Amino acid sequence: MSYAYLFKYIIIGDTGVGKSCLLLQFTDKRFQPVHDLTIGVEFGARMITIDGKQIKLQIWDTAGQEAFRSITRSYYRGAAGALLVYDITRRETFNHLTTWLEDARQHSNSNMVIMLIGNKSDLDSRREVKKEEGEAFAREHGLVFMETSARTAANVEEAFINTAKEIYEKIQEGVFDINNEANGIKIGQQHSPTNPSLPGSGGAAGAANSGCC
Amino acid sequence: MFSNFKERFMTALAPDLPPLPSSERSDHHHRRFGNQQMPDKFPYARPPFLQLLTVDELRASADHNVRPIIVPRDINLLPWGTGYAECVNSGKSEWNEDQGAFCRRVLSDPEHKHPDLPYTYFGIFDGHAGYGAALAASHQFHHILHETLVDCIELLLPRDTEGGENGRLNPTFPHPIYFQRRVSKDELIIGALESAFFSMDSLIAQDSNRYRDAGGCTACVSLFIDGKMYVANAGDSRAVLCQRRANAPAEPKNDSVIEPDPLEATCYPVPFSADHTPETERERLLNVARLKPHLMANQYVAMEYAKRPHIKDMGQRILCRQGTMKGWTYKTLTRDDLRMPVVNGEGKRSRLLGTLGVSRGFGDHELLAINTGIQIKPFLTPHPDVRQRDLTQVVSIPDEHNQDGDYGVLVMATDGLWDVSENEAVSRTVFQTLSKYPTEKHRYTMVAQELVARARGKINDSGHWRLADSKAAATVDDISVIVIPVYQYYQEHIEWTQNYTRDLEKRRRQAQANMAQEAQEVSVLNGGVMAEEAHVEEEEEEDGEVVVLEAKAQIQTEPQAQPHAEAEEALVVEISAPVEQAPQQQATSTAADVAAAESQKDSAAVTQQQPQSQPQPQSSQQRSRGKGNKGKHYSNVN
Repeated sequence: MSYAYLFKYIIIGDTGVGKSCLLLQFTDKRFQPVHDLTIGVEFGARMITIDGKQIKLQIWDTAGQEAFRSITRSYYRGAAGALLVYDITRRETFNHLTTWLEDARQHSNSNMVIMLIGNKSDLDSRREVKKEEGEAFAREHGLVFMETSARTAANVEEAFINTAKEIYEKIQEGVFDINNEANGIKIGQQHSPTNPSLPGSGGAAGAANSGCC
Repeated sequence: MFSNFKERFMTALAPDLPPLPSSERSDHHHRRFGNQQMPDKFPYARPPFLQLLTVDELRASADHNVRPIIVPRDINLLPWGTGYAECVNSGKSEWNEDQGAFCRRVLSDPEHKHPDLPYTYFGIFDGHAGYGAALAASHQFHHILHETLVDCIELLLPRDTEGGENGRLNPTFPHPIYFQRRVSKDELIIGALESAFFSMDSLIAQDSNRYRDAGGCTACVSLFIDGKMYVANAGDSRAVLCQRRANAPAEPKNDSVIEPDPLEATCYPVPFSADHTPETERERLLNVARLKPHLMANQYVAMEYAKRPHIKDMGQRILCRQGTMKGWTYKTLTRDDLRMPVVNGEGKRSRLLGTLGVSRGFGDHELLAINTGIQIKPFLTPHPDVRQRDLTQVVSIPDEHNQDGDYGVLVMATDGLWDVSENEAVSRTVFQTLSKYPTEKHRYTMVAQELVARARGKINDSGHWRLADSKAAATVDDISVIVIPVYQYYQEHIEWTQNYTRDLEKRRRQAQANMAQEAQEVSVLNGGVMAEEAHVEEEEEEDGEVVVLEAKAQIQTEPQAQPHAEAEEALVVEISAPVEQAPQQQATSTAADVAAAESQKDSAAVTQQQPQSQPQPQSSQQRSRGKGNKGKHYSNVN
């Protein structure tokens, strides 16, 4: 399906805060109570509509474990948006936000839109981080903030779509250089009946590679 | 170089448009025009165990700017915790042209006379000039390998070695007298691998009429079967067994301040393949050219010169050598020497006919040399080098907890890894990473990921990929790495051995019981025939002990075996439906009778052919362990 823009997102945050579940809820509209540890990186994609334009979100869901940190750092490159996630029932995941933010700012392009997300809002009885604290942190660091629940799907759509809206506005304002793919934005094809570079559908891919190795 | 740059540039601008057809390529490679209209045999995909199922996921995984390191989503899909990681090139081709594959299957006797023999295969294929050949190999090679293994199934399957260590031959198999030489199980498996490589290559050749030009690929394959590890390789991918000596007891500290790195001292790589590049295969290639000069069409010369001849040097003497020569000799330069050498360049830059950087593998049936349009395929061969390791011979002391070091961790990877990593460094990284994750289920995946991460390096501000530690250029090629914990396979093999010993025991009891029953029946009809036969054999043999022993064993087991047989028959009766009872019972007993009769015949035949046969091992456990003897069944005594 053709799109006007493609935005690349990255989801970051401590292990077990629900990054993969947020992605699954957004792309598949389902919740998986037991989720294996993410090793490396996983991808998701979904089409949304903003201002009457089809926008494709390509989402990179990263491993939260410390051991993967150095590899994850290389994935900030070329991301237009980041979802920085903590778990409202685990204080330490909130305490680590500063480190995550430093990492993100250091390795991404300066225009990357960062959305702060306090996940697991359905577990209010076990809450360790007040909503006000999240809001204050977001204000202080210039982030957009939202509490979500990947289990009940509360605010999940909004989190992804609001981030896209902000990126879209930045494009309208000319902040993003949309011709530089390193900014995490691609312009879709203007008029193309089929997608010629889809694997297997065109004649170009096989023959266009270099003849030798 | 420029075209690569142009391609990257265009990809960055309009990523969803097909890459520009490169004028350089279409001019020089002379691809058949109509070819472009033909379909792909297999739609482009990544290895199934990565579960990159949608086009969106494929696209994201092929991001040339970020080069994400992809590992299996579900690490349980690969056996023994085997690790895998891959990463796309930096833009030299649109898709990752490497492929990986694995397959676990069982060789089973159609007549169920022998216990099943399970095996596991891993393959890694590095494609060039398109993704088709590597994709085809990853989809089809294991089917071909299975067929070639099934071809010699009678000889491969574990058999009951009771009644002579030489076992019995399946009656459908040619009598050993037809063999002119001893053929071991090892050679059969190596042969199966070799012929599977040739078949795979022919299959790609056949498909070239119906499908889009597949390009070519290297192939590095490992096969774990019957307690052994086989590695077959054609091309410049590589398999290295990373081993480590157990930590020596701590020595008293000497005065030196610098402690030696324990990993540096104890890790060592054992190559399990040899790279096939125009440089390493110069001798073979120059020989092909020398023996079949028409393949060069007067455009190339099958010589190697110490320095490139120029027209101004004409008539002067120059140091050179021919295909088989090790040393150098002088020759006077003539016009013919100005032609391009069949092999030029050195190391990673060496090229065959100025075009191709590998000299073995699958495909390339339509590949033509740059500038001259000469067919390259006749110089190539799919023939693999095969190396083997008998894991039952590995000595590992349990107290040392060094199984990974003793049995080794097999790293199979495409040249993306090896171009920038020495074997020694890879084996250090393997054990460094394993010690960082001592118990994690995904520790071998972490090894694979670490190896890929190091070879890919980091991108700097000017867009170049650099190694993290040395700032030297990292690879811009596709990288794929499989990390196989060999000990985990060996454990599985031990378990299987125990199960099959039990299975054999059961079969033997059943056969004996049936034989006994038959003997009773026969003796009623025709008393003493069996005994007479035994005597005849005894007279013929120099070493009659074997037969006598056998006869004794039969007599001894007869009374014991009877109740077992009854119990087992009763079991059959219980589980089968009442209507089917009678015929089933009959079927079981006839099958067993046949087996028993055959085993008698065979044991007689074997004793005749192998008069030197050793006394039988004492326990069945020992017998099943005595795998060193298995190969002898197929030998010819004449």
